[in-house]
This record gives sequence, structure tokens and C-alpha cells, in this order.
Amino acid sequence: MNLRRLFSRDTRHLRIVVFLIVVGGAGAMFVRSQLIPPDFGERGPYRAAALDEEAAHPLILQSDATCVKCHMDVHEERAESPHKAVRCLHCHGNGREHIAAAMAAEDSPDSVIPPAEEWDGDFQTGIDLFITQDRATCLACHLSVVGTPESFRSINVSEHLEEQGADEIESPNVCYECHDGHSPGL
Amino acid sequence: MTFELNILGNGEGSCCSSDAGSGQCETSGSCGCSDQLDEDSRRSFLRKATTTTIGAFSLSVLPMAPDAGEQAQKEINGHSSGGAKGASPNEDVLYGFLVDTSKCIGAGKCLTACREENNVPEGYARTWVERFVHFKDGTVQVDLVPETGFTEEDASLIDREQVDRAYFVPKLCNQCEEAPCNQVCPVHASYTSPEGVELVDGDRCIGCAYCVQACPYGVRFMNPDTGNADKCTWCYHRITRDEKPACVEACPVDARVFGRLDDPNSEISRRLSAVPTSVLKEHLGTHPKLFYIGNSEEVI
Repeated sequence: MNLRRLFSRDTRHLRIVVFLIVVGGAGAMFVRSQLIPPDFGERGPYRAAALDEEAAHPLILQSDATCVKCHMDVHEERAESPHKAVRCLHCHGNGREHIAAAMAAEDSPDSVIPPAEEWDGDFQTGIDLFITQDRATCLACHLSVVGTPESFRSINVSEHLEEQGADEIESPNVCYECHDGHSPGL
Repeated sequence: MTFELNILGNGEGSCCSSDAGSGQCETSGSCGCSDQLDEDSRRSFLRKATTTTIGAFSLSVLPMAPDAGEQAQKEINGHSSGGAKGASPNEDVLYGFLVDTSKCIGAGKCLTACREENNVPEGYARTWVERFVHFKDGTVQVDLVPETGFTEEDASLIDREQVDRAYFVPKLCNQCEEAPCNQVCPVHASYTSPEGVELVDGDRCIGCAYCVQACPYGVRFMNPDTGNADKCTWCYHRITRDEKPACVEACPVDARVFGRLDDPNSEISRRLSAVPTSVLKEHLGTHPKLFYIGNSEEVI
């Protein structure tokens, strides 16, 4: 290779191209190293730490086991009833604050669990805890609408109340004239 | 003697003769023709340049192996944090989901459970339940189950006399084997976990919403609070701790079933082999892992 020829005017266009490729390549490699996270590619084509972050989300929904720790009597009531498939939270809400207060009371006897009257939850809003004998709670599942399968026990409200001879048809607690939410069978 | 092409027209073959002519070419640098010496050096240059280029290109496509020490450290971290945060990802596990539309009563318990568990913003949903109403005149109406279930006012909205049949269809992310959402993501924010669950890396997502367009089932949405793409993850944080997804936990009639497809004795595997099941939009070739029992062909 004739070094003089390499750097002569004849080869200027080639040198420009080679220079651009080298500089462009080096620049691209640098940008790549800054933009691609270091753990990319360890478990697959994604940032490996993202998987652990997703798995680390806290569990919000409480299972019945949490409630039954204190409310064992309800658990026994429901053991034989068809409502044992219904979760506590369906009728009473998730109750995060109540459970937090109860856990705190377990550790230190001084802390007080707020009484039921202070819960401000409501079935329609789905907030926290509430005791409800409101017919809307029952009807959310048991109201017969277009689409309800035949295999499920659902009612047309006015017909059912008439058949069963309910006293206060307009009352929000009319279901409780005959049924108990925990063991609704008659 | 070969034919000389003299472009500059400065005499015939003047620089192509062996003595004074080649010297002239050397100094002036351009004659418009070449002699044998130049041909040889040009050929040898091309040969060397080609070899170098091919060699360099081959080196550049070698996989970049991370530093071995770094990798060992990360593995140790992965195992120790796995115990604290939850089960570490497992490649042998394959999750599946089964929905029995004949059992769904449209209670909407799954919807509130999902919203609470995953902090889904109002107006968006990671899962929803559709109601298909087939009227006797052949039309089909599709509407949504309200989140707190139907109220007494809703019951009388549709004239039962006109209805041929109706049923509820819960919908959520299908966690496709060949997920279009992952293919189109420009930054690899949308990815598949080792268990086959499609997830979104909130840190990498740039909010372009290409994946939202790409999903044929419409399960993805742009979360207004985080600015990232969001979707049902089959409650990945629950299933990796041997819990069930929130919607499965909440369903009072067991219309939703979750389990491991790799375990032939799991409930879902046994039910899938017992009755015919279908998937949504099978013709698109996405191979969903969400199976339906009881879907009629109108459900898309």
C-alpha cells in the first residue's frame, strides 16, 4: 500500500466516507450505551428489573381468611349455605382501613377499632367497609335481567315480593324480612 | 495492445506509454487512464478493503456478552429479592385462563375487584363484561355490565318478549402467544414474562400508543395518571405468589378460572380437555391463552 497514494486527492472521497462511518458508528455505539438499560437482555428483550417490579406490587384484595380471623361466627354460619361462594367483600366492601385498624389492635391492645357506625362505605361506591341490608346488594346478583342464565336463582322483584307476601315492598331492607345475608336459605 | 480511452483528449495514449508518460501521470495525478502498475495496486487495495470490511462486519454481529461478574451478582440479587418480593419468575410455568360464559350472571363483582386491586383509573377498565342480546328479529345488541351490577331500573329497559337469547361475556387480556402488542413496541416496553404473561414496563414506555392500536381485542389503554400503556396483567403480582387474580377471586359463580396450563392435573387443564373451547378472533393467529366455554360465533 502506497501511503502517499492513500492520502492523495484521489482518495479524498473514500477517506470522507470511512471517517463518517467510523465516527457515526462510534457515536451510535455511545448513544446505545446510554439509552439501553444495563440489565436489558438478561431474561429476554426487556429490562429485567421490570419483571420484579411488576411482581412486587402490593396485594390489595383481602381474602375471606383475613376477615374470618376475628369473625369466626360468620364463617360457621356460612359453611353450609349456598352463600359460601360469595366473598365477604362482595357485600361488605374490601375494608382496607378496617383491617389495618384490626391488625394494629392485635399488636397493641390500646388501639381501638372504629365501631361499625363510623364506616362510611357504600355498596354503590365500593369504598371500604359497610354493613348493608340494602336490597341493592342482594339484587346486584339476584336480579333477573336479560342475560341471566337459567341455572342461577334470580328473581323479578315485584313478582317475587307478591308471591312471598312481603309486608313493606318499597323498603330497602325488604329482603331481610325473610332472608339472612349469611345463610339465605329458608 | 488494449484500446486506450483518453477522456481528457490530451493526445493519444500519452500517459500510457511506459517511460515519460507514466512519470507525468504520477505528478499530475489525473490522466484519465491507467497503466498496469496502478491496476495491480488498485486490485490489491480492493482485495484488502473487502476482506477488512467483511471481517469487521462479522465481528460486529457477535452477541455482546455482559460482564460475567456483573451477571453473577445480579443472579444472587434476583434470588434474594425473589424471596422478599414474591416468587421469582419461572420459565417452566405457563398460565392460562378459562371463562365459562354460561355461568356468568353479570354481577360485576370482578370489575370492582380489578379496579381496587390494580388502581385502575375511572373511565378505563382492565376487564369488562359484555352482554350479548339476540333479538327475535335477528339483530344483536351488545352492551356493558355496570360495575356495581344491574339495578332494578336496568331490569326493565329491554323488552323480554323480543329477546331470543342473551348471555354475558367477560373479557380481559388474552395474553397471546404471538402478541401483536409486543411486536410493535418501539422501545421493548411491552414484553412477555417467562410464564407467558404480557406485561408493560412503565419506565420504558414512551406513550406512543402503538400497542393500543395493535391489540385486536382492545384490552389496552393509555393510563392518564402514568402516561403509560396499561392493561390486564392477570394480576401478575398475585399469581406469582400462588394467589388467584382479583377477578377470579371475586367471581361468586366461578365463571372465571385461572391455572397452570403446564400442569396436566390442574383444574384448567382438565376442563380444557373435557369440553370444546374457543378463543376470540382465532383467524388472526395470535394464539390467545384465554379460553371460552359456551361462546357462540357472534362473540368477537
